[in-house]
Amino acid sequence: MKISHAWLQQYFRDTLPTAEKLAELFTFHSFEIEDIEDVNNGAHCEKVIDAKILPDRAHFCLSYRGIAEEVKVLTGMEYTDTVKSDYHGGHCKMDIDAGVTPVTVSIEASSFCRRYVARKVTGVEVKASSEKFKTFLESVGSRSISTIVDATNIAMFDYGQPLHVFDADKTIGVIVVRAAMDGEMITLLDDREVLLTSNDFVIADDEGPLAIAGVKGGKRAEVDATTKNIIIESANFEPTAVRKTSTKYNLRNESSKRFENEITPEWAMDGMCRVSALIHTFSPNAVFGPITDIYPYPVAMTIVVTTVEFINKKLGIVIPTEKIKEILKSFSIGIEEKENELVLTIPYHRFDLRIPEDIVEEVGRIYGYEKIEGTKQSVISSSISTHPSFYITEHIKNILVDLGFSESYLYTFVAKGDSEVAYPLASDKKALRTTLSDGIEKALDTNARNADFLFLDSIKMFEIGKVFTKKGEHTSLCIGIRRVKKVKGQSANEDIKQTRETLLQTLGVDVATACTIDDTGGSMLLKGKQIGIINTIEGVLELDLDALISAITTVGIPLYESIGFGPSPKFFYKSFSTYPFIVRDIAIFVPDSVKSDEIESIITSNGTALLLKHKLFDTFQKDGKTSYAFRMIFQSFERTLTDDEINTTMAVIADKMKGKSWEVR
Amino acid sequence: MTHIIREIYSVFHELGFEFAEGPELETEFNNFDALNMPKDHPARDMQDTFWLKQDKDADPRLLLRTHTSSVQIRHMMAGKPPYRIVVPGKVFRNEATDATHEAQFYQVEVLCVDKDISLADLKGTLEYFFRKLFGDDVEIRFRPSFFPFVEPGVEVDMRWKNKWLEMGGAGLVHPHVLTSVGVDPTEWSGFAWGIGIDRLALLKYGIDDVRHIYNGDLRLIDQF
Repeated sequence: MKISHAWLQQYFRDTLPTAEKLAELFTFHSFEIEDIEDVNNGAHCEKVIDAKILPDRAHFCLSYRGIAEEVKVLTGMEYTDTVKSDYHGGHCKMDIDAGVTPVTVSIEASSFCRRYVARKVTGVEVKASSEKFKTFLESVGSRSISTIVDATNIAMFDYGQPLHVFDADKTIGVIVVRAAMDGEMITLLDDREVLLTSNDFVIADDEGPLAIAGVKGGKRAEVDATTKNIIIESANFEPTAVRKTSTKYNLRNESSKRFENEITPEWAMDGMCRVSALIHTFSPNAVFGPITDIYPYPVAMTIVVTTVEFINKKLGIVIPTEKIKEILKSFSIGIEEKENELVLTIPYHRFDLRIPEDIVEEVGRIYGYEKIEGTKQSVISSSISTHPSFYITEHIKNILVDLGFSESYLYTFVAKGDSEVAYPLASDKKALRTTLSDGIEKALDTNARNADFLFLDSIKMFEIGKVFTKKGEHTSLCIGIRRVKKVKGQSANEDIKQTRETLLQTLGVDVATACTIDDTGGSMLLKGKQIGIINTIEGVLELDLDALISAITTVGIPLYESIGFGPSPKFFYKSFSTYPFIVRDIAIFVPDSVKSDEIESIITSNGTALLLKHKLFDTFQKDGKTSYAFRMIFQSFERTLTDDEINTTMAVIADKMKGKSWEVR
Repeated sequence: MTHIIREIYSVFHELGFEFAEGPELETEFNNFDALNMPKDHPARDMQDTFWLKQDKDADPRLLLRTHTSSVQIRHMMAGKPPYRIVVPGKVFRNEATDATHEAQFYQVEVLCVDKDISLADLKGTLEYFFRKLFGDDVEIRFRPSFFPFVEPGVEVDMRWKNKWLEMGGAGLVHPHVLTSVGVDPTEWSGFAWGIGIDRLALLKYGIDDVRHIYNGDLRLIDQF
């Protein structure tokens, strides 16, 4: 909801606090403020507060008078509603001309349409709105169309009541509120054609639909420059049905938004009066007909019974009774005291005040949550039940990390699987993963490319996460190894075997494996039932962790103390460049007396800012001389490096070393 | 992620909370209805949902849980109050991804149901937690907000390094939620608080892009 500071001022005789000050009051007592915008309208700069109105306050705060009421309560300023006295006052039944025929309305959909207020106005002028109104509409994110249409929108922003106008000369017969017929068509104001179903509701005449009720007007009875006579509608519609229809046809707008959040039918007459007054201002010669008001079941005010004790107990503070009553009264809530009970009569528009807990919030937010002091916590460390599968899972992570594995958390969404989501983010993310192996395999690929960067000879990763198969959801464990540096007679499959054996042994669980002789593929079996697959993808093992854990006896459950719960290691993330890196090695023979530090200092002082890191990776001695081999990683945060520039840097380093009479190999 | 979950768990463990978990594929009832979010209510707009592709009249309707609050429902239905649980877990929202938002992320939620629980208890618990994680000088404040499953509902802010930061949503458990799981709200009351763990990790470790957490990149992971 965009709140124009200038427009809001009309509700107050005294000068409002600044937009910034109001925004602060709203933030701590009413609702979240997204932004304060400066809207420049040529002549001067105007402040517009953008408030995030959530469903609890949308019943009344999607209107200036709802916002004005908040301001009144928060500032203690007198809320004069000058808007009302200027345009509305006694004018609602203004100069009714008996010569204008009343609008005949028939409500067939009685549970959908709670109230329908209509009147005919003749002799209107449809022209461009004045700058003041254009500016206002633009500042709240709307668009000026013509005096008549603008009047309905301005009245809606002011009073929270959506309104609609039809060109009276384009309607035929009686106005009916009814369910649409299956297959009925309507052409909307924006020329879009919509095929309706019997779950939608329309405003129709003898010819057919004129509008989708509460959602969007139709083309047939559109108000245009030639319009002389209009029918104004100020109605109240059932929220769920409006929501379903507006969602289905992707027609959510300012009108449907207000209806689907529910507004009181009591506002329908206010809306009619406000829009009539505006039309009267814009079109002074217009003649107003009598008002038709069909309101079969007038709503009653809600009564909420609570106590001061209840309110204070929930908030955890002591607010004096008088203060509580003052806050509630400022919202025009009626208070009757019966013994120690407060019998509260809730204003019609406050659908958010229905139970005593709602009253707690109302008092708490206005009084100020900052006045609540946190209760000191007594620390209870014993007698809490442990959670075996959580503890075992954490234990398994520890075992794997000790074996040099890194844990990863990968994506649930994949291209293919047994279960699919209805509206995926992308076609390759439409299904839920059935295994973790594919994700681990991809992660191994990616990290293998960065192996030099990481100074790793092999990539070792694991993930524990949920997978979704035809049988349902279960927790899976996947372990993956990729050898970057090949060593004869050793393989990733071989490494998986060792890891698997260590893991099962440490856990003390009786799981059998059935594998090919060279470990190129096989199964893990628990009581003869397959719970895991080995090396179907090279160097990848995946098993059903739920099944594995179920086989662990209570003796095997680790203790809280053994897992390493507690503060995480002191660590601060270093961001990394996504540009490619360049790897260079240098090997030098130096006399035995030269220490590696000396060589390193030449590398670091001449490596330039592009030298990200370096590592001594090989040393050997021969004939009184020592060979040192260093690996260097060059990378920039701004650009892709060229071989040439790094070659130049390497040449400088080599020259410095040669200058010491060392042999660069 | 494991580091921070362990740390969170350890702090709440000290306060007598136990670990709880639940499935990622949830029923509409546990994720929405029981949490005072009826069908076709505007409150459901606050969480864009991944619904599972199912037959039109499938019952129950399944979805990827949009919050860990569904575990509250499962836990309360399974036993009698009092309850004190801490629930870390993966959740899903059908929204575009960027440096601070992911369609899948981790949340942690705490629920405490006992006699006479108040907003002051909530504030005290969160002060204890945030001071353990971020240092003794952090301050906590509440701002009014709305979550259908709590009343009153608040946003939690933490003042850390002279800045106020948003630290999740909280409130007193809505009596409709207690009723829906068969707990008498006139006898029991409680508080709940939830936050994206990614957000805690981003702050605590200074990670600049949440997407790094989920692509298994060892350039991130091996820094731990």
